[in-house]
Amino acid sequence: MLDTTILSQAIVSGILMGAIYSLVSLGLTIIFGVVRIVNFAHGEFLMIGMYATYFLWARAGLDPLIAILITAPLLFLIGAAIYKSLLQRVAAASDFSKIFLTVGISLVLQNIALLIFTANYWSVKTSYERMVLSLWGVSISYPRLIGFLGAVILSFLISLFLLKTDLGKAMRAVAQNREVAMLMGINPERVYVIAVGLGSAVAGVTGTIIMPYFYVFPLVGVDFVVMCFAVAITGGLGNIKGTLLCGPIFGIAESLGILFIGADSGLIVAFLILILVLIFRPSGLLEEGRL
Amino acid sequence: MLLEVQNLNKKFGGLQAVNGLAFGAEEGEILGLIGPNGAGKTTVFNLISGVYTPDSGVIRFQGKNITGLKSYQICIKGICRTFQIAQPFREMTVVKNVITGAFSRTADVEEAKRKAEEVLNFVGLGGKKEILAKELTAIDQRRLEVARALATDPRLLLLDETMAGLNPKECDEAVSLINKIRDKGITVIMVEHVVKVIMSLSQRIIVLDYGTKIAEGKAEEIRSNENVIKAYLGEEYRRAIRQ
Amino acid sequence: MKISVKSFTRPRGYVPLIGLIFLLILPLFLPTYFLHIMITMLFFAFVGEAWNIVGGYAGQLSLGNAAFFGLGAYGAVLFTHYYNISPWVGGVLIGGAAAIVLSVMTGLACFRLRGPYFAISTLAIGEVMRLVFLNQRKFTFGAEGVTVPYKGNSLLYLQFVSKAPYYYIALALMLLGMYVTWKIEKSRLGHYLVAINQNQDAAEAVGVNSMRTKQIALSVSAFLTAMGGTFYAQYIYFIDPNFVFGLGLSIEFALIAIVGGVGTVMGPVIGSFLLRPAMEFTNAFLGATYTGVHLIAYGGLLIAVVMLKPEGLMGWLGGLYEWFLKWLPGKEK
Repeated sequence: MLDTTILSQAIVSGILMGAIYSLVSLGLTIIFGVVRIVNFAHGEFLMIGMYATYFLWARAGLDPLIAILITAPLLFLIGAAIYKSLLQRVAAASDFSKIFLTVGISLVLQNIALLIFTANYWSVKTSYERMVLSLWGVSISYPRLIGFLGAVILSFLISLFLLKTDLGKAMRAVAQNREVAMLMGINPERVYVIAVGLGSAVAGVTGTIIMPYFYVFPLVGVDFVVMCFAVAITGGLGNIKGTLLCGPIFGIAESLGILFIGADSGLIVAFLILILVLIFRPSGLLEEGRL
Repeated sequence: MLLEVQNLNKKFGGLQAVNGLAFGAEEGEILGLIGPNGAGKTTVFNLISGVYTPDSGVIRFQGKNITGLKSYQICIKGICRTFQIAQPFREMTVVKNVITGAFSRTADVEEAKRKAEEVLNFVGLGGKKEILAKELTAIDQRRLEVARALATDPRLLLLDETMAGLNPKECDEAVSLINKIRDKGITVIMVEHVVKVIMSLSQRIIVLDYGTKIAEGKAEEIRSNENVIKAYLGEEYRRAIRQ
Repeated sequence: MKISVKSFTRPRGYVPLIGLIFLLILPLFLPTYFLHIMITMLFFAFVGEAWNIVGGYAGQLSLGNAAFFGLGAYGAVLFTHYYNISPWVGGVLIGGAAAIVLSVMTGLACFRLRGPYFAISTLAIGEVMRLVFLNQRKFTFGAEGVTVPYKGNSLLYLQFVSKAPYYYIALALMLLGMYVTWKIEKSRLGHYLVAINQNQDAAEAVGVNSMRTKQIALSVSAFLTAMGGTFYAQYIYFIDPNFVFGLGLSIEFALIAIVGGVGTVMGPVIGSFLLRPAMEFTNAFLGATYTGVHLIAYGGLLIAVVMLKPEGLMGWLGGLYEWFLKWLPGKEK
């Protein structure tokens, strides 16, 4: 019979990690919802955020949580720049162009990182990294807990932004109906740039908050992006609520996979879920949303 | 009866697009399907040609039940439709477009080519074989649409608003083409808004409004039918009647 | 295509013939290192052609063809290792059959999906295969990889001491890929694939069973790709899941066809003949000090092609070739 403590530990780990997946997938889903581009380079924005955090810690001693203030605008600018210089030109082109453009960007970013930073694994050290919280037999490491809380708070803030602020509403308007949004005086191009910038910033910030308990290396984005797709698609590409819901689901599925099957099976379980979802509900578990 | 439709129903969300529709098409006739915008005419075509599955009801073609079959299966059975907005294979040449249709009856490339050329000459596009479909004029794209459908050797052809936006001369050409098609023994059901055309071409006309059949009969009968005039709110018909 | 002796007096006939003869005698004087590069050029052209059938003609962009490749590779090696069965059987027949089965499952699951969803789901399938083979260490040796058992010079076991036999097999594979693609392009299947690509609804309206058509194309593509995997294993003598089932490989299959020209017979050949030497040389000169530079170039090239010439280089090179033909002696219109 399975020890309930081990099971609860797995589930809690899954939820903690799930919030992270939710957050980074949120970025992906915003970009798709507004600009209709599936960003295969999303994991690389996470990676850049992680490297930036590492250097801010290594050179300036900045704690990752403070580093957010720098990595967020940094990734926003990078995302916006990539949109303006490259993505903008294929926004109206075929799916083929959109997919392979971001695949190309992903390749380039991964290998520039490899070139500059080498393949070594780096991590940051925080004062609280050894601390552990014990709740009913389940142990939660502080970095993970803080990461979880950070993800939850940020997800909440972004949802608030999209629902309540004028800019957020403008983004949702463009996502739902571009022509009418234009008639209302919204400049769609400006919204697209901001959407991509925001999506990238979200990915970058996720990278920042996980630095205390993850290693960074050039290909770290690859595993994340694949999980991201699973979460975002299952939740419905462009559907904020769906994405937030599916993050923990996949986090738990991954944990249970690792627990019951083996070390690398987390992703297998996630993929199988994704494939099953795609078979039975081609546009995701919940409606493909317009934010 | 070549085509028999019984108690056809289709709902989209809260909207009953097609409501208890029943009608038949005799072999060799040209049947008109008219009604105000939103009456459900294209939906009927979509149901017959397999794009949608009806919620209930039966569609029988040549005596056999074809309800629920997929569109390619229905094409093989002998019903082909054109689209309201022409849907050519844009990056293919005109002749390749039609060859693709001809392939539904043969796997042999040479045979498909011959059939395609024959059909293209029939509709009057013979001289434009090697032009890319996307470079055709709107009316030629319509012709291509019809040609491609004819290449599938249909017994029943569903024409969806072939006349939309054509000037009188183009209209006359289209009318004569449709007559030629009928002369070949192909049964035609046409959805049209251009009342003059429908009145002159069709032997019988069915009128839809809000998904329901409100009248059926010969052109002269429809013309003076109270319900029909009411459905159209008069104007369009009064103009047509005066001609 | 009617071939007569007369057709070889025209440039359009004799230029490819000269090219073929040149390729046939190349191993006689080319140094081993360059022969190796030629082999990879021919081989990648072959797997690029396989990808092109579905990706180029049907427009369904697979990012998971490595799944089929890996099956061919592991089929070949594992069956030799465990049962001493020839890779022709283990890899081509069994691996190929497994690839077809996987392609049918993939098709059933994914062909209803349009655009990015298809690409993502094929990516997921490729990754699942990679992870499964990584995981099942008992049977597949996991991350350590497997070496091909040494059999010396043997056609039965598809192993040779020198490079020349590999070269001719690779050449035969490339010609096979081109032939299959050309045959499909001219046939009803080819017309149907392009029609589905342009307008699936209109295609269905004129009698095209799009599911079955795409499935046939994917099965052919899967089988050919698996053959490629078998060849690769027997040539390199070592395989591991992260490479043969890797996303990088899947992307490369697509890249070769895209850069050369999707939906054309010569496209993947051009793509491979340009990209492989470029990659090998960048790797050779800079690889030691600067890992991954060639991949930056790859990525950059992909971006450039997508933004500037999505139809691939065939557009320019095709025109250049026609112009070249006119300059040569012989009756050329």
